[in-house]
Amino acid sequence: MDLITLAAIAGNVSTIGYGLAAIGPGIGIGIVFGKAIEATARQPELSGRIQVLMWLGFGLIEILALLGFIAYFIFK
Amino acid sequence: MQVLAVDGIKLFLPETYDVVWSAIILVIIAVFFYKFFLPKLQSVFDERTAKIEGGIAKADKAQQDAAEAKKKYEAQLNTARVEASKIRDDARAEASHIIADARSRAETDAAQIATNAQRSIASQQQQALVKLKGEVGTLATALAGKILGAKLEDDAVQSHMLDQMIDGMDSGDKK
Amino acid sequence: MMIVSAAGSVLASSGFQVPSIDEFLPPEIMFQGTPFALNRIILIRLIATVVMLLVLGITAMRARLVPGRWQGAVEWIVEFIRDKIVYEVMGEVRGKRYVPMITTIFLSLLVFNICGIVPGMNIAASATIVVPLMWALWTFCQYWIAAVRGKGLKKYLKDELLPDGVPWPIYFILVPMQLLDIVVIRPFSLTIRLFANMIAGHILVALCFSATQFFLIDAENKLLMGFGAITFLGGFIMILFEAFVAAIQAFIFATLSTVYINLSYPEELE
Repeated sequence: MDLITLAAIAGNVSTIGYGLAAIGPGIGIGIVFGKAIEATARQPELSGRIQVLMWLGFGLIEILALLGFIAYFIFK
Repeated sequence: MQVLAVDGIKLFLPETYDVVWSAIILVIIAVFFYKFFLPKLQSVFDERTAKIEGGIAKADKAQQDAAEAKKKYEAQLNTARVEASKIRDDARAEASHIIADARSRAETDAAQIATNAQRSIASQQQQALVKLKGEVGTLATALAGKILGAKLEDDAVQSHMLDQMIDGMDSGDKK
Repeated sequence: MMIVSAAGSVLASSGFQVPSIDEFLPPEIMFQGTPFALNRIILIRLIATVVMLLVLGITAMRARLVPGRWQGAVEWIVEFIRDKIVYEVMGEVRGKRYVPMITTIFLSLLVFNICGIVPGMNIAASATIVVPLMWALWTFCQYWIAAVRGKGLKKYLKDELLPDGVPWPIYFILVPMQLLDIVVIRPFSLTIRLFANMIAGHILVALCFSATQFFLIDAENKLLMGFGAITFLGGFIMILFEAFVAAIQAFIFATLSTVYINLSYPEELE
């Protein structure tokens, strides 16, 4: 295989699919944790409640990225 | 580059033996934690808490005891001090009493001795006077006899003369 | 840039072994064909279990009033799970009965995940779909049981599917979504999160080290040995990262289980 053939795209489109799927959850998780930190800083006495909600939101968002990840294996 | 040798979907299809082993392991671990590990650790925690609380209570009690003992000792010390001062006062009083006693006894003794001495002096004087009187009488009689001769051999005359002379001596003394 | 692509071409043209998901489907090595067949991952899981039970068992047996260093560490972890995961979310009264469950989940998953970076094992004991699935199903059962006992099934479904303060047209979207959430998404998100993290972590580490192996030993062109050093360093960093991921995934699994169970109880009962 020479350099020219290397430049050709070989492999699986689902790799790109995962990259795309990770964008949204990446932003989402950033927002969730950032806001949780902000809220805790504003009202430290509510930190327990905030953390619970934070993990709930995190769980919902992260599953989207992970669905993209397993789609790579499933729809090969 | 061969990336995926088998179907990726197989990753998500559980094998029977995998399920069996996972279930067995989960049950074993769960039983271990439920029945042995956590109760055991919890008992250690409880024991520790009890010990710490007991220790604090004990320390409190010890402090209380110490305070009580201190109070007791101080009270005792106070009584002792009072007693000591009392004893000292008593001793002082007794000492002065003894001194006074001794002094009075000594004074009495001295007075008695003096009286005795006076009395004995007086009696000796008396004795000496009586003796002297007798001897003077005899001497005078003898002397007078020698001077007057036999005249005076009669006892009656002799005593009459002697009395006269002594009276004269007495009146002479009184002068 | 040229060198990188040259390295890439060498990688692509030679017999470089890219780690594949085959490693998560190892062949059966004992009792083939029976329900008790053993493969590499299950063997690792058994060993990890035995080691964990022995170590913790001996620690608990010899637990003394004045803890030594090791006992102190174990106690710290146990108290962390109890106070920072369970009681923080549920409160002490409600959380008491779930402490053993969450401790089991957290510690077993932690040990299983750590196997991924133990030399000689090199694959997490939780790296088949069944382990996270099993553990997630336990959580699933627990929060449905808790729903029946805590709120009552009717009240629970009403709270989850038809929450107050939502205009009624929204219910057409909300009800199927929420139903999907409490029946499917919750257990499967727990499962897939852990499983996918284990796969990705293992492949990253294995990729770095197999590339190191290739560049340092197998490649004819010795100019490429520099890449070997870089990939080795990368592999080392990936191992540290994997240790972090192992702990954080165990923590997330335990925390989310607690949160899901807590949602089955009426709010603010504490």
